[in-house]
Amino acid sequence: MVFWSYCRDFTGTEREEFELRDGATVGELLEQVYARFGKLGEARRSLLVAVGVEYAEPGRRLERGEEVSLFPPVQGG
Amino acid sequence: MRGLMRREFHWTREPWREEQGRWTGEDRGDYGAVVRFEGVVRAVEAGRRIRGLEYTAYEAMARHQFEKLFDGAGQRWPALGAVVVVHRLGFVPSGETSLWVLVAAPHRSEALVACGWLIDEMKRWVPIWKQPVWEDPLPPEPVGGESC
Repeated sequence: MVFWSYCRDFTGTEREEFELRDGATVGELLEQVYARFGKLGEARRSLLVAVGVEYAEPGRRLERGEEVSLFPPVQGG
Repeated sequence: MRGLMRREFHWTREPWREEQGRWTGEDRGDYGAVVRFEGVVRAVEAGRRIRGLEYTAYEAMARHQFEKLFDGAGQRWPALGAVVVVHRLGFVPSGETSLWVLVAAPHRSEALVACGWLIDEMKRWVPIWKQPVWEDPLPPEPVGGESC
């Protein structure tokens, strides 16, 4: 899992690895993330998730080795 | 219908120079409307003066999302000839350009609408973030008692 923008302030790290069962979903990963990093859990309703370079919903199944990103609402411009 | 002939996205960490926005290509005569938009860093955010904004991005995903937006623009307005976006990264002082967009089309109506659409969609989908750098730190909280 890669953290972007102020998510890094909440975790103190840019990336973290998580062990998941085969066929696990994005939502299952997020539950582990929020359990490990409570401040992210508090902000979860506003956070966005991507697998690779595409946005992902909680039901998206993960393949081994895929990189998932978590970040706040975007603010370009 | 020529389709979207020119589509470009660039990052830059350097100040934007006006002459970079010139469009002198040989296809210039095909488009009766060229819209240029500059997003400028305001000097005040949330009522406080700022020195500027620090921009960060998930660069690979941002580039991919811009490509999807270019696809979407070409489908919505098939007559568009060019879409070019330049976005700053790193610290951008107040008053400087952080975003530059060029949209070219045969007529002004689609060029103006497409430019606005592209910026709106960028603000929904493209993973770029900005953090204000305040001119003055907040005053310390009063300690243990009532203020005057």
